[in-house]
Amino acid sequence: MDLFLQTLLNGLLIGGVIATFTIAFQLTFGVLHVIDFAVGGWVVLGGYLGYYVTALLGLDGFVAIPLAFVLFGALGYLIGPVLYNVRNSRTARPELMALALTFGLFTLLRGGMLTAWGFNTRNVTSMLSGESLAVGPVIVPLIRVAAAVFAVAIAGGLFLFLYRTRYGLAIRATAENRHNAALMGVNIRRLSANVYGLYAGITAMAGVLMGAIYSVNPEVGLRYTLFAFFVAVLAGLGSVGGAVVAALMLGVIEAFVSTYVGSSYSLLAIFATLFVVLLASPKGILRRGL
Amino acid sequence: MASFNRSFSRRRFLGGSALAVTAGALGMPFVRTARAQAATFKAGVITSLSGENILGGNLTKQGYDLWAEAINAKGGVEVAGEKFKVDMFYGDDQSNPATGADAAERLIVQNEVDVLFGPYTSGSTIAVQPICQKYQVPMISGSAESPNVWKAKPEFNFGIIPSVDTTSGLSLGVLAKTSNPGAKTVAVISVNEPFSKETGEGFRDGVKAAGLELVAYELVPPEGDLTPVISKIAALKPDVVAVGGHEEILINVVKTSKSLNYRPKALIMHYGITNPAFAQALGADADGVTGVVVWLPTVTYKDDVFGTAKEFSEMATKKLGGEPDYTAAGCAASGLVLGDALKRLGKKPALTPEDRVALKDAIAETDIQTFYGPIKFEKDGPHYHDNVQPVPVLVQIQGGKVVAVGPKEAAAADYIYPLPAWK
Repeated sequence: MDLFLQTLLNGLLIGGVIATFTIAFQLTFGVLHVIDFAVGGWVVLGGYLGYYVTALLGLDGFVAIPLAFVLFGALGYLIGPVLYNVRNSRTARPELMALALTFGLFTLLRGGMLTAWGFNTRNVTSMLSGESLAVGPVIVPLIRVAAAVFAVAIAGGLFLFLYRTRYGLAIRATAENRHNAALMGVNIRRLSANVYGLYAGITAMAGVLMGAIYSVNPEVGLRYTLFAFFVAVLAGLGSVGGAVVAALMLGVIEAFVSTYVGSSYSLLAIFATLFVVLLASPKGILRRGL
Repeated sequence: MASFNRSFSRRRFLGGSALAVTAGALGMPFVRTARAQAATFKAGVITSLSGENILGGNLTKQGYDLWAEAINAKGGVEVAGEKFKVDMFYGDDQSNPATGADAAERLIVQNEVDVLFGPYTSGSTIAVQPICQKYQVPMISGSAESPNVWKAKPEFNFGIIPSVDTTSGLSLGVLAKTSNPGAKTVAVISVNEPFSKETGEGFRDGVKAAGLELVAYELVPPEGDLTPVISKIAALKPDVVAVGGHEEILINVVKTSKSLNYRPKALIMHYGITNPAFAQALGADADGVTGVVVWLPTVTYKDDVFGTAKEFSEMATKKLGGEPDYTAAGCAASGLVLGDALKRLGKKPALTPEDRVALKDAIAETDIQTFYGPIKFEKDGPHYHDNVQPVPVLVQIQGGKVVAVGPKEAAAADYIYPLPAWK
């Protein structure tokens, strides 16, 4: 029973961790209609910022979280219009061109980090690193709780922003129908830049947490891209609420299969779930995807 | 007028091209002669210079280069009283075996290397072996540690480092003897990828050989999260947790264990803990982690190119900016094997195809003492052409430093066992 509870908690927290870097990914797809392959690159950039803040400045890794938002949000804001232009160009298959662009961006980020910061695996330390709380027989790793709280806060914040503000309305309108939104006076180009900046900033913030929970090196980015993509497909592309549900679902499946069946079957179980959900509900588990 | 200009310039362009090609073709033989007259031995290094194994790939490259620099500083390899320098050529396998095979073929066909120095990973090594066989070029591997590398009895491939099943298996026996009170139960975690899995299997088989009890054997996917596995193992309370994996997973095992407030009496990892980045990343949490190495700068071996192990280490530290680990040492020692074999072969560069086959036979007869330890290749059995002479040394991180703790004759410090609970 103790192990069962621990496994359930482990699973929910893995889900929380995955959700952190998937939520904004969904928003980008919804608004820009781009599957951003570079998501793992933004995660790793955030992780490195966390590492350098602790290693060079001797500060707590969490200090890097707001910094990551500002720094990489600004970088994303600059890249956003390029992506928008490619996505809306008159070339044949602009959606594939955009995918290729983000793939190139990912490769550039990875190669650049490898050249600039080397291949050693780095760690982000924070006040919560390695700390845990015993609740009865269950051990609660606090850093993961922080990540889950972060995911919930970001999802909640985005929800409020999208449904309670005028700008949020414009974003939703753009996601629904770009041309009509433009006719209503929404500056789509600027909005796209803002959304991509918001996404890059949030994802890099999640990256600081990933560096604190796992570790960071230029090669781990691909893993985050893959998981973001799994979750996005399971959730239904573009569905922010679905992302949280799907991430939790994947986390719990991974934990239970690892503990009770065998770790080597965990990815198999995840793929099988993805397959079944896509067969039964191609628009994702909440049927809200595009 | 415009069209006249265009056709004129096209004609001129074609004419110019033809002239250039002719000149190139005429010049070619002279270029080749000039190259042949330089009279150097050409060695190709095929390893991971990009991709996920870039860390290990650079360790191997650095090791091979250390030898080339050392021998060239002495004037080169001595053959029949004359000295010939060594030219190094590099091929990148991009951490992908198939790419490695292509790169090896390029080194052999385009760069016309006499000999290859093998890749960092076992996967690439296995992929390159058929290329060596096809072109009859010997390859000396300073790194590949998988037992699978030797199972197919590769005629042209030789390995300096004992295969991982021999070292990880034996290390648990050393651990059981060194620990006090003696460890009894073991759980093994290994990442489900070739090298890591074989390390894990080595540990698993070593458990039985050492008379210990195996309580769990977990294969985790490289993308997986470790919390479920660590929680499961914590519930089984083994004395020893043995991990097969590269640095990143090792770092994550320690972090995840600590975040779940679980610490076994001993945590042993085969590879990676001797890389300074490991202790750097984990800080104080790295203390107490046990590892296995086949070479340390403190061993008492020596040779006449590098001097003692300590002298080699000092020279390498100066050049690489950090203490060399056993991979760099094994790769540097690969060069010593080549130098010795070339000397015995007595053929001057460039080697003919027949010479290369004879070189392979000369390498097979290697029986030398080096700063790395004794080197002699198996002539039969499951470790065919592997050097299984070195005895594994148990090391532990103490105060951020890697120190030898077992077996007794090699120990520089007491083994900390059982590990204290996390603070």
